[in-house]
Amino acid sequence: MRTRLTVLMALLALVLAACGGEADETTTTAAAPDTTTAPAPDADTTTPAPTTTEVMEGPTAVPDGPITLAVMGPFTGGAASIGQEQLNFARLAVQHFNEEHGWDVQVFEGDTELDASRAVTVAEGIISDSNVYGVVGPAGSQEVDAVGQMFTDATLAFVSPSATDPGLSDRGFDAFFRVVPTDADQGPTIGNFIVDEIGASSVFIIDDQTSYSVGLADQISDALDAGGAEVAGRESVTQDLSDFSSLATVIGGSGAEVVAFPGQIASQGALLTRALQEQGIDVTVFGGDGFFSAEDFIEGAGGASEGSYVSSFAPDITGVDEAADVVTQFQDMHGDFGTFGPPTYVSAQVVLEAMLRAFEASGTVDRAGVLAEVGNTNLASTILGQPLSFEANGDVVGAQFFIFRVEGGEFVLAD
Amino acid sequence: MDAFLAQLPQQLVNGLSLGGVYALIALGYSMVYGVLKLLNFAHGDVYMVGAFIGFFVMTGFLDGAGPIIPAVLVVLLMFLAAMVGCGILGVGVERIAYRRLRKAPRIAALISALGVSFFIQNAVQLTLSANFRSYQPQLLIPPELGLSLLDVRISATRGLAIVMAVVLMFALHRLVQRTKLGKSMRAVATDPEAAAMMGIDVDRVIVATFFIGSALAGAAGVITGLVFIRVWHFMGFLAGLKGFVAAVIGGIGNIPGAMLGGFILGLVETFAIGFVSATFRDVIAFAVLILILLIRPQGLLGAKLPDKA
Repeated sequence: MRTRLTVLMALLALVLAACGGEADETTTTAAAPDTTTAPAPDADTTTPAPTTTEVMEGPTAVPDGPITLAVMGPFTGGAASIGQEQLNFARLAVQHFNEEHGWDVQVFEGDTELDASRAVTVAEGIISDSNVYGVVGPAGSQEVDAVGQMFTDATLAFVSPSATDPGLSDRGFDAFFRVVPTDADQGPTIGNFIVDEIGASSVFIIDDQTSYSVGLADQISDALDAGGAEVAGRESVTQDLSDFSSLATVIGGSGAEVVAFPGQIASQGALLTRALQEQGIDVTVFGGDGFFSAEDFIEGAGGASEGSYVSSFAPDITGVDEAADVVTQFQDMHGDFGTFGPPTYVSAQVVLEAMLRAFEASGTVDRAGVLAEVGNTNLASTILGQPLSFEANGDVVGAQFFIFRVEGGEFVLAD
Repeated sequence: MDAFLAQLPQQLVNGLSLGGVYALIALGYSMVYGVLKLLNFAHGDVYMVGAFIGFFVMTGFLDGAGPIIPAVLVVLLMFLAAMVGCGILGVGVERIAYRRLRKAPRIAALISALGVSFFIQNAVQLTLSANFRSYQPQLLIPPELGLSLLDVRISATRGLAIVMAVVLMFALHRLVQRTKLGKSMRAVATDPEAAAMMGIDVDRVIVATFFIGSALAGAAGVITGLVFIRVWHFMGFLAGLKGFVAAVIGGIGNIPGAMLGGFILGLVETFAIGFVSATFRDVIAFAVLILILLIRPQGLLGAKLPDKA
């Protein structure tokens, strides 16, 4: 009996292992990355000094306690390709900061899976860790909404690299900042592009029931109305819907020329383009910034998303002079990237520089000091190719959206 | 109304392919319930493993531009590997998690089933990460290939999926009705003790039931990948639930009922999106379940199998 049981268990393990053995993705952090503090990128050069007297031998003073930067993002789950890119860019920013200033800032990985309730749990862990003096993230607007008051109460500055819901500016989250423009800009940018550049007169709109998506879909709808285009239909799907064939039939029957789907899960955009292609329906798909993922939206669509559009809150930084070093270094380490990583680099930079200024001003790093200094951020230029400072409500001064088109299997800036 | 009539044929095709997947999953639920009176909640996760086996067979035989052996062979291998792999997995689950609990109160086996479900899900997440994977059927079957009749378009992939589902169901029906094994299965479903006294090896029949039911789930997983593209570790949860609902609609324990229930559920969901609203898809699907159960508590075809409990 026992041996037969063992054989069966071995077989089971073999089946699972056979699946695992062929996995060759580069993004593999499914194994409980949520509450682990990552090891220092290079602990050998900048060992934190135990006493202040030894610290003085460096070019600048270094805080004596451990300093941690928390990074919240969807490192696993449906938006993992985006989250991994964000995490890697945040790590690179920390590495650059440590190299330049001789600090030993650690990274705390908070995996939220783009889920508001998980974000709350992660935020609790971050707030209770007294070594954390600033946060990069969370990525999604619904997550910012969920954790905003918690971080504000803890006077812990958090800078989102990708939350674009305009409503967040008015929630009174004093600790909230973002380095990207809001959907109050994105909606009209998409709507006007559909009317003026594509010249469509009838548009079908889909949202994915998140506050980000519904808000943005509303903004697009308003812009289309203002531009004189007709909204042929409006639908709302859950993020786990995989069968888009039925919806494709509806879209085909509606006579729409463009379907705007500002969703968060890029693979859903790919599925929509596949379903339309399968039924031979010639409608242009227009996604929001959530679909800007070459892996999910282009490769995942197997050619069906060719000619589709997405918007993005950041430019393609490979063409930005200030970013040249970061681009080559990142490509050497992790390969190609989209538009989610660079704003994360800038977010991390904002928090780290605020830590530095707070330390230089008062000789210690504390949460309230860092929060105040984040508000004073005034960068003459960033890797995004534009200067950066914040409005009183945490929004970025003078930011804009960019439109990309899928051409030849790549995102190409459309204008 | 015009829009309804114009879209009806295409929505029927859409609904049938979704229904085929639900029906194949429902069959495994129903067969296991038939012989063991056990709700095998790990069934949806066996389906998920099948989808992944198909994915890795496909990826293994693709090199960027296309398949390295004839596409037909790749598709066949995908089905074969997924069905055999899932069959073995199903038998293993039965041996490890259910066999010792066969005499225990029914709730114990149910809890064990939930445990297996979580185990498989987490094991897959641990080994393969939580990322979505996309089947690339366009490299095997060109998306242009297909049938266009008036306003209806059936792509070759979808056609293959529907045909495959129907063939498997037909084969199962023959097996249950015409073979000795099928007769034993029906006997065990009716009364396991009497069947044992008649010289039927009940354990063997149960193992065969798990193997066949899980193999059908594996095929459903591959069909899902080919038609609906996206596979991930959590896909089995909702699909398993839907398969269970389909089995209940048809009358759980009844094999033609499971097929009927699957197609009804697929069509209801598709029509809900097509003619009502995508937002209410699941609401409508479960409302239909409640309605059917209110009118026929034993399910549509449930009366055929007398409840001996």
